[in-house]
Amino acid sequence: MLRLENIHAGYGPTTILHDISLTVEAGEVVTIVGANGAGKTTTLRTIAGLIRPTAGTITFEGEDVTRLSSHEMVDRGITLIPEGRQLFPDMTVQENLLMGAYRKAARQHKDAALQEVLSLFPRVRERLTQKAGSLSGGEQQMVAIARGMMARPKLLMFDEPSLGLAPIIVTQVFDVIETIVKTGATVLIVEQNVFHTLKAADRGYVLENGEIVLADTSDALLHNDHVRQAYLGI
Amino acid sequence: MTDISTTSPRSQAASNGWMLKAIPLAAILASLVLIPVIVGNQFVYHIFITICIFAALSTAWNIVGGFAGQLSLGHAIFYGIGAYTGVILMNMGISPWIGMFAGAAIAVLAAVIISYPCFRLHGPFFALATIAFLEVFRVLALHWRELTGGATGLMIPLQIGWEWMVFRDRLPQLLIAFGLLLLTLAVAWWIRSHRIGFYLVATRERESAALAAGVGTVRVRLAAVAVSAALTAFVGTFHAMYLTFIEPAAMFSLQMSIQIAMFALIGGLGTVFGPLLGAVLLVPISELARAWLGAHALGLHGFVYGVVLMLVVLFMPNGLMGLISRFTKQRRERGVLAGTIAASAATPDARQRAPIGADVMRVEHLQKHFGGLHVTNDVGFTLREGEILGLIGPNGAGKTTVFNMISGFLKPDSGSVTVRAADGSWQSPTTPGDFATIGVGRTFQIVQPFAAMTVEENIMVGAFHRYSDVEEAREVARETAERMGLGPWLDAEARGLTIGGLKRLEVARVMAMKPRILLLDEVMAGINQTDVRRAIDLMKSIRDSGVSIVAIEHVMQAVMSLSDRVIVLNSGKIIAQGEPREVVKDPVVVEAYLGKEFIDAQA
Amino acid sequence: MNTFLQVLTNGIMLGSLFAIVAVGLTLIFGIVKVVNFAHGEFLMVGMYLTYVLTTWMGIHPFATVILVAPALFLLGAVTQRFLIQPLMSADDDHIQIFATVGLSTALINLALLVFGADIASTPASGLRTPLQLGPVRLLSGQVAILVASIAVVVVLQLFLSRTQTGRAIRAVAQNRAAAQLMGINVNWIYILTFGIGAACVGVASVLIAPLYPTSSGIGTYFVLTAFVVVVLGGLGSIGGAFAGAMIIGLIDSFAGFYIGSDLREVAVFGVFLLILILKPSGLFSSRLNLSHVSP
Repeated sequence: MLRLENIHAGYGPTTILHDISLTVEAGEVVTIVGANGAGKTTTLRTIAGLIRPTAGTITFEGEDVTRLSSHEMVDRGITLIPEGRQLFPDMTVQENLLMGAYRKAARQHKDAALQEVLSLFPRVRERLTQKAGSLSGGEQQMVAIARGMMARPKLLMFDEPSLGLAPIIVTQVFDVIETIVKTGATVLIVEQNVFHTLKAADRGYVLENGEIVLADTSDALLHNDHVRQAYLGI
Repeated sequence: MTDISTTSPRSQAASNGWMLKAIPLAAILASLVLIPVIVGNQFVYHIFITICIFAALSTAWNIVGGFAGQLSLGHAIFYGIGAYTGVILMNMGISPWIGMFAGAAIAVLAAVIISYPCFRLHGPFFALATIAFLEVFRVLALHWRELTGGATGLMIPLQIGWEWMVFRDRLPQLLIAFGLLLLTLAVAWWIRSHRIGFYLVATRERESAALAAGVGTVRVRLAAVAVSAALTAFVGTFHAMYLTFIEPAAMFSLQMSIQIAMFALIGGLGTVFGPLLGAVLLVPISELARAWLGAHALGLHGFVYGVVLMLVVLFMPNGLMGLISRFTKQRRERGVLAGTIAASAATPDARQRAPIGADVMRVEHLQKHFGGLHVTNDVGFTLREGEILGLIGPNGAGKTTVFNMISGFLKPDSGSVTVRAADGSWQSPTTPGDFATIGVGRTFQIVQPFAAMTVEENIMVGAFHRYSDVEEAREVARETAERMGLGPWLDAEARGLTIGGLKRLEVARVMAMKPRILLLDEVMAGINQTDVRRAIDLMKSIRDSGVSIVAIEHVMQAVMSLSDRVIVLNSGKIIAQGEPREVVKDPVVVEAYLGKEFIDAQA
Repeated sequence: MNTFLQVLTNGIMLGSLFAIVAVGLTLIFGIVKVVNFAHGEFLMVGMYLTYVLTTWMGIHPFATVILVAPALFLLGAVTQRFLIQPLMSADDDHIQIFATVGLSTALINLALLVFGADIASTPASGLRTPLQLGPVRLLSGQVAILVASIAVVVVLQLFLSRTQTGRAIRAVAQNRAAAQLMGINVNWIYILTFGIGAACVGVASVLIAPLYPTSSGIGTYFVLTAFVVVVLGGLGSIGGAFAGAMIIGLIDSFAGFYIGSDLREVAVFGVFLLILILKPSGLFSSRLNLSHVSP
């Protein structure tokens, strides 16, 4: 469904990603594992169209989407739920959700999408009229995920969904992600909580210094010595 | 091994660059006097006097607007003060030569009073505040009629001769204007090439990094404003004598302020000679338009100015000097290339490790809340001499917040940080400046290079903390750069470095301060394996020279091999501390990093 | 007492005048995060357009709004697209300031070139007729400005809160990166916002032209006060700008009457400097947005 081939990308003169190739098949849950600064976020931002790759191609559902901008990627059905929630703090939760269905295609079914999303996130329903900035970190993360789903994306990308959350909330966030996965969504997820994500994912890539050094099924990665040493600390 | 191959082409290139600039500069300056003298036409004299006056005003403005990056659109205040003081005193029988200094003194006073509260404001807001002050001065000049003559303005008394700065001939006027221009250029050049100039540019580029390097950011900017105001007032006094008539609308004019700044931008903001270039090119446009087209051209030169300004901003934001240096840099880079081949790695000293000594820093019961969030909860630890203390924990655990509190960037809600000074006494520093003075140096997680400065200049800003002389500081900066493996890039602009290079630069700048305590915030994040190994060696060599280190680090390999002790922070609390090997086995730590399920799964 | 009421009324009328000029400025400020130093010159352009349309075509000044507002919208949109947008990523905010300062200088002098230094008087068309309302006198044109400024504020607020485009504009202001992720074309939103802000000035200019003589320097006169209003009301706050404008109008009017008409500006700018230095978030903003101030 999504295929990156030999992607190079970075900010200004600095190249962060070197020759990244990866694929995500429909219905799969794929994770990218790596240390801080390895280029995980840059990979997701490149796929989302926020960064133009300097070389390589990205194809989505068989079409070349390498040069598309972020709003065109949203139209294609790719949504990124960014690191640190990134809600619109002075808007109500409902307004935040509606922004998730901003594109013309999504606007038509925004009411239906809202109902679907709220049935997945009953806690969000209780907060609809509150300002997003007044919510707790865990609630904000739920709203961010719900907002991402408003466009009914074909591919949902998560960037560090557990960042800065208390352990108990982290578990809840992962429960939600698992529920979404069960609905058949295709998911690409980046997490520092390596163990949690590998448990939830089908396959994983290990990213070090902007290069993919390992690619395997989650189970194999969980038992890989390098992964265990570098990321699980054992 | 690298000394000869790196420095000789570089200094040669530098002297080439210097020659390339010096000859045209001398030619421009000489022609400012020679052309009118040779042509001998009154109008040509007038144009060149005006060029000198505006070039001087613009050069003086550039000390604040360019070097310090404080975009003042109120510089006409100081110009007006100089003009009014000169004329008022002259009417009382006092020579403008004395009036000049009186005007400068008043202007300095006004500048300091105006600027001090405004330094908190950034960019457009600083500009707006200066415009507002200018309006206030203009209205007050209109209001105090007895003193200023109000809207009718003031004439100078008809007294001619050198002692009154008023002449029938144009030549003496040109010489005075030229002298003032030389004076401002000399002052600007002196500032830019001495410590204060480095400090001003560093403050402009990254205020927090400048603070960490021990720069008194407010003090240096006040000094810059004072010097700039005095020079502007000098020119104001002379210009009033030249014009023989002054009025509030012309003296305290926003258009005037904008023009002064405009010449500097078009010539090259923050360069010593850019404003001169801007004035030389643009002043004749307005004067010729006025002379040839008269009333028909009302607004023509202003229109041209505005359009030129927009075009410059869009297509050559570094001004004319930017174009010139792009040309000279191409020549220089050939010299640098020779150096890159001989790139040196960081060379660890082969010295023996000194034993861990007595406490040098004590942190007790730190508490910090942001809004309702308890980001630091009763954090306390001690750091001993020659020790490396690792500070680890998941993202968002509050590590950087602790760093900010033990370097003066954040005030703890409660708790204390005490540091043992070089003389053995215990002190409680509070500001970043205090911490720098007592010997605490820090890096930033998000690198904070002074982007527009070269690698050498970046490190010099740190070196100035101990060495006020430019050459000494340069020497220390070069040594430090060699040690950090940055030698080949001394002349490169910091913005061109890779992430790994920037991280090393960040450390180099702090090392040049010769700190006794070093706080390193994730210096290894995002650099490649070779660089990590190099960084580990480097930190060992720093430690062996007796420096105590606190390091926030995510790269486990580094934490394990470097740290004598490790502190684990989670949700703002210390959850474990001790030997690195012990700590990583601690179930509490494993849970914090990996989650409870991991423990369950392992069990 | 009657004098007091008269001064009070004058202050409110002046306040509504400042409000209608400042609304567009604060919108651009708040959303695009650019200080448009040429805002006053947009007003001047609008006033000259009104003057030309009324004198050459003989239409009522207020009717020219159907041409002036779109023209100003275009001017704003073009400014954003070709002058500001290329500079949005400049790490140095000097560059943006100089860009709009350059535009302002060019427009002022262009007006001088075209219309000369003489003032241009738009026909009063009955708008300078004094009305006697109990003890106070005011002009019908002033009442029009008061009504229009309230209407503009209300319409803008409704637009921003009720429409999807309006919400997108707010979203861009609150979190640009997230807005991009929602598929909002941020550059287009900036162009639209700049255009709307400038169109508001267009509305202001048709209202002001019949009451004030038009000259190349008129923009500077109004815009400095508009900046004061915007800072006072809190950057980007439309309601705040209205309240700030009323306060400045009243200060101006009372200072002019009780201190001396030539010192009005000192009072106004004095307040401005105090606010800027002591409470830079403005008087009415609940949330701190202090990106322009060091901690």
